[in-house]
Amino acid sequence: MPLLRRGKPDETPPPVETTAALAGELRHPDPERRWSAARRLGDRPGAAEHLAAALTRETEPRVVEAIFTSLARRGGEESAPHLFPLLRSDDAALRNGAIEALQTMPAALAGHIEELLHDLDSDVRIFAVELTRKMPAAPAPVALCRLLDRETHPNVCAAADDVLAEIGSRDAIPHLQRCRDRFATQPFLPFAIATAIETLSRAAH
Amino acid sequence: MNRRDLEHGSVVVTDDDVRRLCEFLYRQTGMMFAQDKRYYIDRRLAERMAATASPSFSSYFAALRANAENEIEHLINSFTVNETYFYREDHQFRCLTQTLLEVIAPKKQPGEPIRIWSVPCSTGEEPYSIALWLLENWESVDKYEIEIIGSDIDTSVLRTAEAGIYGERALHRLPKDLIARYFEKRDDGFYHILPEISRSLQFTRANIVDPAQTALHRNFDVIFCRNILMYFDEASRRLAAENLFDSLVPGGFICLGHTESMSRISALFDACQFADAMVYRRPLESS
Repeated sequence: MPLLRRGKPDETPPPVETTAALAGELRHPDPERRWSAARRLGDRPGAAEHLAAALTRETEPRVVEAIFTSLARRGGEESAPHLFPLLRSDDAALRNGAIEALQTMPAALAGHIEELLHDLDSDVRIFAVELTRKMPAAPAPVALCRLLDRETHPNVCAAADDVLAEIGSRDAIPHLQRCRDRFATQPFLPFAIATAIETLSRAAH
Repeated sequence: MNRRDLEHGSVVVTDDDVRRLCEFLYRQTGMMFAQDKRYYIDRRLAERMAATASPSFSSYFAALRANAENEIEHLINSFTVNETYFYREDHQFRCLTQTLLEVIAPKKQPGEPIRIWSVPCSTGEEPYSIALWLLENWESVDKYEIEIIGSDIDTSVLRTAEAGIYGERALHRLPKDLIARYFEKRDDGFYHILPEISRSLQFTRANIVDPAQTALHRNFDVIFCRNILMYFDEASRRLAAENLFDSLVPGGFICLGHTESMSRISALFDACQFADAMVYRRPLESS
């Protein structure tokens, strides 16, 4: 019989390393060590600060991914304040990683979303709109409708239109209509809004 | 406008509602349902709306998106066949013997085992299927030592797996001569897998989203992790993907369920389209 049964896996817990030691490992030249440290810091309270700091210098995509996963594991209260600044990053990988991590923290996000939707930077407002897509709470469509009523950037409106088509209800239609009227001369937005209105008007109450 | 009354006539669901539901299901699982499956979709949607006491599609969809009371899992369960049985999705076992092991085995040093992990293994049909498939279909099987480990988070199913007793339904895809060779029929009509097979496999508890538990399961050449990731939220999927990555040797392979795609979860793995199956590989050089 070629099938072989070995003993049970060794369940001896690995030696405990301090959070500071693991944070130091995030600077190790070997990416394997950095990956391992980033993963192990995911269950260490207070590690978000170290993980977020490592993001600013980390170049290995696999390690970056592990850092974001560990930040998500640390939860919104600890990690979200370190992730919001990344929405302004010039690095698309960092921006997208931050968005994906923040989308796992709806409770932490809820307290900041209005502020983000009012940000002076239209790109940040677009990312904030995307963040509302995964927010389970009812206030998300309401916040997007308010955004549509004041927004001056067509790309932000297009993003809100796209998300509202998914998570909104008929209540959003008047806001979409007003937005469409304001941007009537835009080449794309009126068409996109008309599509969303059609979708929402067909949706059953 | 196409509006339909669901099963009991009291709730109206439109084509657009169904489209939104299907888009959500696709993003979550990769399963695609078109309007021509409307009756199938309507029935399951009606069941779930009734079970959650949702008065409208919009309230149900909000609860689904919030994953209230694990509704995503309940909905996916209603759309999938959860029954497990021997030789399920055997095209991946064919891929294992015809392709994956032909890559893995030549690199093994004398005495170095080939390690295969089935997780979650539920009541053992999958790891036993792997064992039987290898014994029956891999001509090099006697040249190597092979370790097969089945793991699950649920210790009660692990006890069932260790017992190795199955009804006819679980064996329905196995040829009769194979059943005759590897099982003993009991007086109660159930089949008991031969003790030399069940004793050759190892069953352990493991939760694939717990790094501490998966850290005890390392150096696998092939992992079968089928039809579980689709139930997880995105954060859990990514964590599971990283855990599974660490459990593989560099160059090791992972097989997912046919509706699942690692490429939509993580960039850690390389997608490999082989003749019999799409599998994912931990790169030989990880960094």
